[in-house]
Amino acid sequence: MNKDKVYPKYMVFLPLILFVIFFVIPSTVGYLYAFTDWSATRSKFGDISFVGWSNLIGMITNRKVPVALVNTFIYAIVKTVVVTVLGLFLAYILNRKIRSRNALRTLYFLPAVLSPLVVGLIFSAVFQNRGGTANAILTLLGMEPVQWLGARWTGVFAISFAEVWRNVGYAMVISLAGMQSISSDYIEAAHIDGANEWQTYVHVTLPLIMPTVNVNILFSLIYGLKMFDLIYVMTAGGPGGSTESFGTLMLNEMGAGRYAASVAVNLIFTVILVIVAVLYKKFSERWERAV
Amino acid sequence: MNHAEKKKNALFGALLWILSLIIIYPLLMVILASFKEKREAGSLNITLPRAWLWENYLEVFERGDILRCLFNSVFVSVITVIIVIATASLLSYAIVRRDTPVCRLIDKLLTFGIIAPFAAMPTMQLLQLMGIYGSLWGMIFVYSALYLPFSAMMITSYIKGLPKDLDEAAVIDGATGMGLFVRIIVPLLKPIAATVMILVFMWSWNELQIPMYLLKSSAQYTLPMSVYSFYGAFSTSWNLVCADVIVVSLPVILLYAFAQKYVISGMTAGAVKM
Repeated sequence: MNKDKVYPKYMVFLPLILFVIFFVIPSTVGYLYAFTDWSATRSKFGDISFVGWSNLIGMITNRKVPVALVNTFIYAIVKTVVVTVLGLFLAYILNRKIRSRNALRTLYFLPAVLSPLVVGLIFSAVFQNRGGTANAILTLLGMEPVQWLGARWTGVFAISFAEVWRNVGYAMVISLAGMQSISSDYIEAAHIDGANEWQTYVHVTLPLIMPTVNVNILFSLIYGLKMFDLIYVMTAGGPGGSTESFGTLMLNEMGAGRYAASVAVNLIFTVILVIVAVLYKKFSERWERAV
Repeated sequence: MNHAEKKKNALFGALLWILSLIIIYPLLMVILASFKEKREAGSLNITLPRAWLWENYLEVFERGDILRCLFNSVFVSVITVIIVIATASLLSYAIVRRDTPVCRLIDKLLTFGIIAPFAAMPTMQLLQLMGIYGSLWGMIFVYSALYLPFSAMMITSYIKGLPKDLDEAAVIDGATGMGLFVRIIVPLLKPIAATVMILVFMWSWNELQIPMYLLKSSAQYTLPMSVYSFYGAFSTSWNLVCADVIVVSLPVILLYAFAQKYVISGMTAGAVKM
């Protein structure tokens, strides 16, 4: 069979044009802007000149990138760990013969179909200073109300809480799908060998759904690192840039007219995401072999 | 199932229903607040409104410019879905079947496309140089390029499961190239296409970050943009903000209610099938 006749080359290159122009070019050549003095006052193409590494060094030494880096990883890791564990827990229960399990599954997945922006607004209300649910609970417990979104760590907590709320159902469905694909023979064999329920879960079910969970962890990490909407709606990176992630820092730097600095953050962000993905892949492969 | 087992399951069920309050409470609060009077809605709780003010919704439709933004959102999402489905299936098919070193390199490039963040300002500058900055079409092309890699990855793993004998039989019958693809392969892609369509639709429907950079006038705003600017203008009127939130969420919630199976499998298929 003649490959070029049956699967002509244009079948590859035609769809690729779109991807190359609108993704590859800005994501490679476009980052050259990080090394220029592009700004709101020098926005014309002809006025821009190269200034070397100063933007990248500047963004790291003025602590904006380090703060965003720490926050971004906290958002992503907290979300991934909590969501994965809760997802496995919920899936474990919903995999049993519970009467209302379809209703429960529908309910727990519902937040995942809402947009992150909407979830951000809902939790802006929940963590509002006056009248917010979180402070109402604190008052009920006899504690002082807190300005949740007005300080770094309470803000990070509130944002992470909202992100977990949005994603638990998603992780649950994936774990559940993994569990339901396990042949009941394995489970029965474990029972015959005298394993109790918990032992079966830990030694049979978990290792068998690990590949599925692993893929989910990687996506959860990547999307967690890219988190933008929730933070932007709830704190806009504030107060004083203390809850900033890479995504919001990029937009805020642009808003301040520091275009090249925004591109520099974008470039650093890209490098970090690639490193995380490569490292995760290496480790998870080793881990899967060990289990 | 023995008696102890049944009792245990009932307990687990009860536990999950209690925990589900964490999900129900904020949603209920938003629904109730959307019918309240401004001051009453400010104390966010789940008491019933003193009077059910349906006018809030009317006000949101007028001031939030909902109809125009709804049109923009539908336009952007539908065209993006069409472009992504067409390009992703053709590309995946050609890559899987040709399987040359170049194709494997393109596959790597697509993986980079899944991982890399949106190159915001370079993309903005590119559109400006092309003269399509601020237009919905420019944004549609960017959406399509960004959603292509994940879609292609899902379709690729599906096509790998389609036997090559099909192609060979079609070649004997005289079909090659696009004819073979459209008549033989495309009909077989229906299940995965439905999945990818739902996913891409949800993504483009909910997208906020990209329009923040690429749209400049409120005439082009998509729904999330309209909600964000509405919140900026009416942040103290929780009743109106909540009504706005409900109006823009209703389409996806209805989609979820009537096609739950497809929505769930569409949104999770990427992680489950690999």
